[in-house]
Amino acid sequence: MNWISRFIGGRAEGDALEPGIAETLAHWQALPDADLSRAHFEARYVVVNTEATGLDLDRDRLLAVGAIAIDGGLVAPSDSYYAPLDGATSSALSGLLAFARKDPLIVFNAAFNLGMLEPLIDERLGIGLDAKVIDLYFLMPALFPERHGNPVRLAEWMESFGIETFQRHHALGDGWVIAQLFLAAQARALAQAATSPRALMELERAYRQYRRKA
Amino acid sequence: MSTAAAQQLLVGASTDFLRHFSPFDRMEPAALAYLAQHAVLGFHPRGSEILTPEMGPSRHFYIIQRGKVQARQTGAAVVTEYASLTLGPGECFPIGAISAQRPSTNAYVAVEDSFCFQITADEFLHLMQLSPVFHLFCTQYIASLLNQSRQQLQTTFSQRAAEQQTMTTQLGQLIKHEPVCVTPDTRTRAALEKMNEFRIGCMVVTDTEKRPLGILTQSDVLPRIVLAGFDLERPIDEIMTANPHQLPAAASAYDAALEMATHGVRHLLVVDPNGRLKGVISERDLFSLQRISLRQIRAGIENATDVGALQHASRDIRQLALNLIAQGIGAEQLTQFISALNDALTRRIIELAQDHHDLVGIDFGWFAFGSEGRHEQTLSTDQDNGIVWRCPELQDGEAVRKRLIAFAREVNQNLAACGFPLCKGNIMASNPDLCLTLDEWKERFGDWIREPDPQALLNASIFFDFRVVYGNERLGDQLRTWLNKLSRTSSNFLRMMAANALQVAPPLGRIRDFVLEDDGTIDLKKCGARIFVDAARIVALRTGIDSSSTVQRLRQASGKMGVSAEEISAIIDGFHFIQLLRLRSQHLETEHDADGDNRIDPDALNELDRRILKEAFRQARKLQLRLKLDYQL
Repeated sequence: MNWISRFIGGRAEGDALEPGIAETLAHWQALPDADLSRAHFEARYVVVNTEATGLDLDRDRLLAVGAIAIDGGLVAPSDSYYAPLDGATSSALSGLLAFARKDPLIVFNAAFNLGMLEPLIDERLGIGLDAKVIDLYFLMPALFPERHGNPVRLAEWMESFGIETFQRHHALGDGWVIAQLFLAAQARALAQAATSPRALMELERAYRQYRRKA
Repeated sequence: MSTAAAQQLLVGASTDFLRHFSPFDRMEPAALAYLAQHAVLGFHPRGSEILTPEMGPSRHFYIIQRGKVQARQTGAAVVTEYASLTLGPGECFPIGAISAQRPSTNAYVAVEDSFCFQITADEFLHLMQLSPVFHLFCTQYIASLLNQSRQQLQTTFSQRAAEQQTMTTQLGQLIKHEPVCVTPDTRTRAALEKMNEFRIGCMVVTDTEKRPLGILTQSDVLPRIVLAGFDLERPIDEIMTANPHQLPAAASAYDAALEMATHGVRHLLVVDPNGRLKGVISERDLFSLQRISLRQIRAGIENATDVGALQHASRDIRQLALNLIAQGIGAEQLTQFISALNDALTRRIIELAQDHHDLVGIDFGWFAFGSEGRHEQTLSTDQDNGIVWRCPELQDGEAVRKRLIAFAREVNQNLAACGFPLCKGNIMASNPDLCLTLDEWKERFGDWIREPDPQALLNASIFFDFRVVYGNERLGDQLRTWLNKLSRTSSNFLRMMAANALQVAPPLGRIRDFVLEDDGTIDLKKCGARIFVDAARIVALRTGIDSSSTVQRLRQASGKMGVSAEEISAIIDGFHFIQLLRLRSQHLETEHDADGDNRIDPDALNELDRRILKEAFRQARKLQLRLKLDYQL
């Protein structure tokens, strides 16, 4: 899997978007930005997770995207999205955007996931994602220092909370873990008076700054 | 398309999770799919309340995915065997509350960080409709709760159970009125005037924040004020008792009684969490609470020296029964309580009557018939009684009978005075026909069995449920043994009894749930309880069971009938439920045999009760079917 196959894959679909996809995108672009001051119990968050051939941003390739909505502090398994990126990639990506709307995204390890996803969306759909992102990789140690004071891998948070999933290293299987972690994060944040998406984003940012200084 | 793929994965994962647990493992595929499709996952951090009675009618049904949730009883009465119960993954709550669309009686608190799936109340009800398995699970769960409550009270000494219920009442609930208090600088005269005006036994002295500083009781007035010649113009804080005894509002009546006994005080101050005065509890408040306890009533009966005192006790029995109904006690205990107390009352009445009648040397037993004989008295039952006796040697039988009848007349009158109306059919011991020697009773019963005309069958249904309440129980045992022997061999008689018992069918409709009488009601006695009672009697006669109680008869017969223990307990549960509904519909009526008694409008029941009632009638039908098969009717 190298840049050639990516290049070939890209060319196969052509530059012009299918009409249906263009319409979806236009609709998405017209959506207003999410209200970041809403309380958790009113806010919709969307967990976005990817599945790739490996962890190297330059060499590896995305295989699938998964997304799960957390609406009003509850995860509804039926409110979810999954698409492999093996053929109709543009359609899969535009579907993801339509599903996520402009809601704040919950990601575990944004550097990798969005590092893979953003360029691909840009390449295939010709738009910048520019989403409001909350990275649990940093938010979790910020909220649960008694469990792990430093950012750790997803598996360690799973163990700490006793969370299980139906399939590891699967976009949706890990997404299911992230969604459950986020429920716990919301509850803890609430107890610390961080009641809105904006507050969570600030918490996450403050933690990163604090780490950089330390 | 992509949402479909995701749903398949995630909903499938929920399905897999649920399948590990009962009853979801047995659930119909379509119903399980519906549940998994609608279940959403929420998180409840350790220590958080998930559901409490204060939240009102339960809006969600929860299935624990991970973690631990503790269910705690919040009411004053502990009606199940657990005061708190910890639920783990796969367990769900609340079942009773959400089925009946009422607030939960338990408080559910996460004792660990917990994840729970939840569905809405509407989805829950739909699922019940969709899934017979789930429906059965919920109904059985509720039934087992009722069952637990029964066992709880049977194992605990019944007396103590009733007492605890009252003595665990929180003090906050006992406070009758706003406290009357004054500030420490109040002139003593003003304080005493206020006590007089409000007719209270003590005055509480508080600071401006209502925090108690001291107390002055009536009994302090004589030594501290009158005899000491205290100047009434001086402030009250100079003579009050400082640092009065206090208890939080959440403390129990028992705590208060203990505190009073320990410190020898008659008044206790009840304060809120901020230490502010909420009210005053006096010894008398606690006493009046305890007076209605089982032990007190019993002691009241046993120490009664005249009918007047017994009338009082009879009212207390009624009041206790109402309290117990209100606290959700099951039908079996309730009828046992009533039965036990009524027995005690009857015995005392008989003892008192013996003071006026010379019965020395006469061997007799006082019979209770009908529902009293079966230990199944509800609140409105009239008297059904008789006497069995044995003539002493060398005495004139008729003279003895006369003495017994005169004695019985007084007992019947006094029972009537104590709230058991005279029997309209004259089924009373003072009736010469029912004041019989053992041999005469045998002859009477034998006639009915040999010639079972309709009247004989009716008589059998009343008199065969006899039980000796007072006197020589051996006489009753002998009659029972003899009767069982005779009837077992009289298959024609039993067959006629069975045919008779099949005359009324349970009011189950083909199209509607229930078949109603013209006035839109169901007669729970005629079309419900009696079916169980009649069938149990026949079974007992056929299999030679000594007990006169319907439940005991069924239980003991289960092996001999070739019916499994589970089936029998389902039948018994059905019977209990109907009895409970009867008690509930009666308890508001103060008059005996009011027209409304035993009649119930099924539309006025909540959904759950209606379903259980339907199930109870099905059990009655099952029993009847059994009789039909046994006697080829």
